[in-house]
Amino acid sequence: MVAVDLPLPRRHGETEAAPLPAWVRVFDAGLACCAVEVSAALRRCAGQLPGDTAVNVLVVAGTVTDKLAPLVLAAYHDLPAPRRVLSFGACSNSGGPYWDSYCVTKGADQLIPVDVYVPGCPPRPEALIHGLRLLLSAAGDRP
Amino acid sequence: MTGGQLLGEAARRLPGARCAAEEGTVTIDVPREEWLAALAFARDTAGCDFFDWLTAVDEQEKGLAVVVHLYSIEDRRHLLVRTLVPPDDPVLPTATPLFRGAAWAERETHEMFGVVFNGHPGLAPLLLPDGFEGHPLRKDFPLATRAAQDWPGAREPGERAAPARPRRRLVPPGVPEGWSPP
Amino acid sequence: MTEPPALDLDTGHLPPRSRGVIALLEENCTVCMLCARECPDWCIYIESHKQTVPAPDSGRPRVRNVLDRFAIDFSLCMYCGICIEACPYDALFWSPEFGYPETGIAGLTHERDRLRDWMPTVPPPPAHDPGAPPPREAQAAGPGAGPAGQAG
Repeated sequence: MVAVDLPLPRRHGETEAAPLPAWVRVFDAGLACCAVEVSAALRRCAGQLPGDTAVNVLVVAGTVTDKLAPLVLAAYHDLPAPRRVLSFGACSNSGGPYWDSYCVTKGADQLIPVDVYVPGCPPRPEALIHGLRLLLSAAGDRP
Repeated sequence: MTGGQLLGEAARRLPGARCAAEEGTVTIDVPREEWLAALAFARDTAGCDFFDWLTAVDEQEKGLAVVVHLYSIEDRRHLLVRTLVPPDDPVLPTATPLFRGAAWAERETHEMFGVVFNGHPGLAPLLLPDGFEGHPLRKDFPLATRAAQDWPGAREPGERAAPARPRRRLVPPGVPEGWSPP
Repeated sequence: MTEPPALDLDTGHLPPRSRGVIALLEENCTVCMLCARECPDWCIYIESHKQTVPAPDSGRPRVRNVLDRFAIDFSLCMYCGICIEACPYDALFWSPEFGYPETGIAGLTHERDRLRDWMPTVPPPPAHDPGAPPPREAQAAGPGAGPAGQAG
């Protein structure tokens, strides 16, 4: 798992009137194919944190198998505050195509509280950016 | 060695084997007693130095067929070695003395099908979580979620959420006829 | 290593037939249930009832299916496209829109109003490849029908 500091690109025509807090520190739990899309997004966005405050986001990308579930739980508990969880892709949202499997946890939200769900199989790298923007706009003052 | 030579050698050294050759792949079916002899023949005589995979096929009443895929890099030939273990005694000697790479493959085949590999250095489960019961890849292990979950396609066109009178419901794909979760 | 292209949050640059979200054209749906039955994830929920339509003059009254609920659960959907291929009446379409994350998983189930709202984002079908045989619609129109670009 790698921590990547991310300045979020703005959409075309977006004004500076109500800019989002622009920095997140992403911890990518890349469990399966969705990890490739998250990597594709992160490598194009990585930057240097100007201060030391950023929201720590655990991105669960990929199928959460029953064998790996305790490690995802441990990763969440090891994350320092302020922490959020973003579920990336169908498998981590709800089990996805493996909803009927004998060894798959049907969604990361069976284990940890998820703040944003990004649909897709796999979602585009840009969909991660949409998800992070929603996460920051909904973040509020929760620890 | 050529394919013809290989078949000849197999017939000579493995009396119980049935061989078939097609398009660069040779399949050797052996009885259980000749399993290690067949693997040793493949490695030493047929030049198959690359161990690709080992798995099983649930043939139900006939037993469990254990299959190994080997490859000869120099001759560019695929070799499938196959044997059958009876369903009430699914035991086979381990291939790890001949191919170290078979260790994890045998662990997976053991947990998924229940085949016991005698002499294996550590036949612990590989992929399934602790406390998992059953052998999932056997044919008599249905996916319980498919039978328990309501299938959206079970409704007929024009039918409301609950059928007016009980009738034989369509069985969703993947669930055996008449099976219900325990 | 070459520099990767910059991320583009809009959909204009996406190739044709990109799979972003599924749109429903309700007028074409006859509630045949094929999409719900073929979906490997069981993520299409359809409810309907039958309605008798009296015929004008002295014709036989017809019975037709009326759609009550058509929902696709995009938290389960694996974007295989089987529903779109299976639909015999062209009621389902691919749209390249991909930016629809939600804060609650229930929000990922799109009901029929939201599925209809995706319809304006469905791009027109791409042109046929050069050298392809003319489409069947043009062939059915008989000799003298225009080439593919001019049909319809």
